[in-house]
Amino acid sequence: MMQIIVQGLLLSGLYALIAMGFMLIFSIGRTLNLAYGAYIMVGGYIYFWLSQQLGMPKIVGFAGAVMVGALMGFLKHRLIVKPLKGDAVAVEISTLILAIIMQSVMVLVFGDASKILLPIIPGVVTVAGAQVTFNILAATVMSWIIIAALYAFVRGTHIGRAMQAVSMDEKGAAISGVDPDKINMITWAISGALGAAGGVFFASYTQLSPQMWVAPVIISIAIVIVGGIGSIIGTLIVAHIIGFLEVSIVALWAPELRGVFTMLLIIGVLVMRPQGLFGREEH
Amino acid sequence: MRTLDLRPHHLVLWAAFIALMLLMPLMVGNGTLRTMIFACYLAMFAISWDILSGRTGYLSFGHPFLIGIGAYTTGILTRRYGIPVEASIPIAVLVTMAGGLIILLPALRIKGSYFALVTLAVMELMLQLVPVIRPDLTGGTRGISRLPALTRGAENGYYLAAGLMLAVALFAWLLMRTRLGTALWAIGMNEESVRGSGLSTTRLKSFAFLVSAGIAGLAGAFYAHYLGSITPRSFFDINILFQIIVAVLIGGAGTIIGPIIGAFFMVFLLEWLRPYMPGTERFFVYGSIALVLYMYQPKGIMAIVDTIVSKMKGSRA
Amino acid sequence: MKNRSTLILGLTASLLASTALADVKVGFIGSLSSDTGLSTLRGAEIAIEELNAAGGMNGEKIVLVSADTGEDVTEGVKAYEYLAETEEVDFIISGSIDDVSLGWLPRMQEFQIPTLDTWTSYIGIIDMVVEDPETMAPYFMNIASDEALATLYINFGADVLKKEMGWDSVVILAEDTAFGEAITGLVTEALGPVAGIETKEVITYDVGTVDFAPLFSKAQASGADFIYQVSSVNSQVISSQYVKLQVPMAMTGVNVSALGLEYWEDTGGAGGGISTLSPVPSVGFELDPESQKFVDTYQAKYTSRPVMPHFNGFNAYWGLKQAMAAAEAAGGFSDAAKWAKEMEKQDITLEKDGKLWLRYAFWGNDEVEEVTGRTYPHNARFDLTAPYEDAQPSMVVIQWKEDGQVGVVYPPEYATTTFEVPSWVKK
Repeated sequence: MMQIIVQGLLLSGLYALIAMGFMLIFSIGRTLNLAYGAYIMVGGYIYFWLSQQLGMPKIVGFAGAVMVGALMGFLKHRLIVKPLKGDAVAVEISTLILAIIMQSVMVLVFGDASKILLPIIPGVVTVAGAQVTFNILAATVMSWIIIAALYAFVRGTHIGRAMQAVSMDEKGAAISGVDPDKINMITWAISGALGAAGGVFFASYTQLSPQMWVAPVIISIAIVIVGGIGSIIGTLIVAHIIGFLEVSIVALWAPELRGVFTMLLIIGVLVMRPQGLFGREEH
Repeated sequence: MRTLDLRPHHLVLWAAFIALMLLMPLMVGNGTLRTMIFACYLAMFAISWDILSGRTGYLSFGHPFLIGIGAYTTGILTRRYGIPVEASIPIAVLVTMAGGLIILLPALRIKGSYFALVTLAVMELMLQLVPVIRPDLTGGTRGISRLPALTRGAENGYYLAAGLMLAVALFAWLLMRTRLGTALWAIGMNEESVRGSGLSTTRLKSFAFLVSAGIAGLAGAFYAHYLGSITPRSFFDINILFQIIVAVLIGGAGTIIGPIIGAFFMVFLLEWLRPYMPGTERFFVYGSIALVLYMYQPKGIMAIVDTIVSKMKGSRA
Repeated sequence: MKNRSTLILGLTASLLASTALADVKVGFIGSLSSDTGLSTLRGAEIAIEELNAAGGMNGEKIVLVSADTGEDVTEGVKAYEYLAETEEVDFIISGSIDDVSLGWLPRMQEFQIPTLDTWTSYIGIIDMVVEDPETMAPYFMNIASDEALATLYINFGADVLKKEMGWDSVVILAEDTAFGEAITGLVTEALGPVAGIETKEVITYDVGTVDFAPLFSKAQASGADFIYQVSSVNSQVISSQYVKLQVPMAMTGVNVSALGLEYWEDTGGAGGGISTLSPVPSVGFELDPESQKFVDTYQAKYTSRPVMPHFNGFNAYWGLKQAMAAAEAAGGFSDAAKWAKEMEKQDITLEKDGKLWLRYAFWGNDEVEEVTGRTYPHNARFDLTAPYEDAQPSMVVIQWKEDGQVGVVYPPEYATTTFEVPSWVKK
């Protein structure tokens, strides 16, 4: 039992981090950013390139990944979202195309073979009968720190509050003196940075491969659907519901049905409460 | 016939289009015909997607789910139960229409990006379920091979695929010229006002979902027999979804000829690039062209052609 | 004007060249960006160069065209059609993975183009040859089928895991793919009666699993002596998490990602202790002089990965030469049935220190293999009984050591090192 709690907490922390950037974009423009997986993938690969292939310090690799992620988010806003004038469908479709393009770029640059990241912090410890690597422990701690910082930023700073305002009512926010365009741009950049940071940890859990962008998008989708367009706290809670659900299914019942249950949870929640557990009613 | 508002030039255009398609084998080689077969099937998938999503605005990301149901139903029936294709394909269409209702259920309550998310989740669910549940029937991840072939050879395969596509296109075109087509458009524009005018949007949506699913199931079943083997990865995959949606949007959503043009353009683009860039570069260029074209005109090639035509008319006048 | 005539001259010359010289056209089908695909492609390229240097096939030059599958099933079908109807190739050599091969097989049956698979080892395809010998006649698979691989693995269980390590029970950790299911079935059925190892539990996992820690906990809780893993998709994730978590339990089995020499580099060293069965010639496999010569040519010619051809690279190299020899005897590839008859007769034996080391030949159509009691028409010849005098064993077991070295641990006739548990596992 303790084992499930430990393993569930670790996995949920990772999922929360991954879903956070996706949720930000979804709540601000109601836009499904399918290229979000590309941030995760590129983040992981940039970290791998800097720290493992060029042998730079890990912190440089991490910073590089986050910066490239933010840059990608920024460019996507400038080159795709803005020219399409916020047409949600058009943005969704172009991000889908972009994700497919990024997949082939990764094959061209890094090859098709999947790669494993060196542990960010090597070592292993046994907690409650379960092996836990320092790497995963560090990933979870880092994701909590990042989420806490994000929370403080959104709640405590002017820009953060403006982001919230835009997400609730863009026109209203514009009337009260907020420049929604600038706020959107910042949100896209933050989302990219979060995705890339999540990507480094996700890759250190699993692997780097040109197809790796799909799985985190599906996880994010699950969390956003179940949670609804809501707060950071809501996303955090739902990440834990899904993380614990997965670990319990694997540990107690049928590991091959791991993903199936997440999908069933999505469908179940939608039938009961279409706006998600913590979502606002949409019109 | 009057309600359809058919004009002589419609008949001429359709006759010319049908004649062109059927004369193709006399003009091009077998290699090109093979490519055209894939384009015809993609065009059918695209038309089916367009009826549902292009018009009503309910963006379905789960269309491969419907096509896959059609393919798997006929695959399982013919290979596991020895049922002849004459029976298995109609059954596959009916089963897919039932599958369309599954997609419909969430659509009664949610819309917009949420609907896209859910349909994507349904497709993922299938990708994970098919290999696990009853692998004795589905063949697990290796799928089902040796499906009975309906025809052999590039030419016969082409006539079958092109004939089907023309039938589907004509059916969809006629259907969209009825009041029903107009009502579906109206849902895409403003669902509330359609409801306000006393029409049952639920009934209209159900009908669109059923028609869309029926076409997807029909095309999926024939496609499965053309391929001769099916695997989960060749149906419930985000790349298939990508091809369908991009074909519709590059061509022009909300039209019949648009998705056909889009499908042919996308399939041929990929094949034409093959000799020049055999490896992954091909997919990169293919995706980039699609993105640039889409960003340039989100309404598709049809809209680009319209602009050119009206400009030429303008300059002549 | 002058420019134009030069252009026309050039065009005519190239047209003439392509009709006069490019008489034998070989098509490659496989991924152009994976180690697997490139191994087959390059093996074929080297064989073609050597054959052309020696005068080609019946004096005709051999040329190669390739069609990328990107390991996608539908792209595989398109690629096969492209080779067959646009390029009109005479012979196809494939480095496709299982489901891609299954995807284009109906096209092979339709076009009847002589085709050689070098990587796919799915026994179901050999079953198709048994059931439908006529339309499957042009198809050959020159790698031992997966069933033969798993069968010999049971001997490893009896000789090493049971006898030397003293293990009595196993927990199987298998992915939820058809491959996982097939191998698991074969292993669970035979391990008990043949090797005397009891299967405590079979755990099937989803190939998209992110975190394997709960699975390893479950495996440990089963109380078995070791884990048998079956993994062909995302295999690096499970093996690297095993190493990173330092799971205090021995693990062996099938791990497809560990079959190439890049495994160490790709996993950043998180592969030490991992052992897997491998088709022959594996990494760490001692080579006979002839195969070594092929590897030397390969490494002089290619500097990018894979630095060492995978087993299917060897299969492609020898298999292509055999296909051409068969075509010389059959008067070309046009009569596929006639070519197939000649292909069946091909037999290359490579010796090392006076002992049969590798053999590239096919099973007779009605020849029954003694251990499994079944036929393997058009499948590579293999040997399931020591001392492997008829052919090489269907597989070897290799192990990656914690210092990055890799060697063969079974069978003893081919072994270069011994099987051991990772240092963190308490014996």
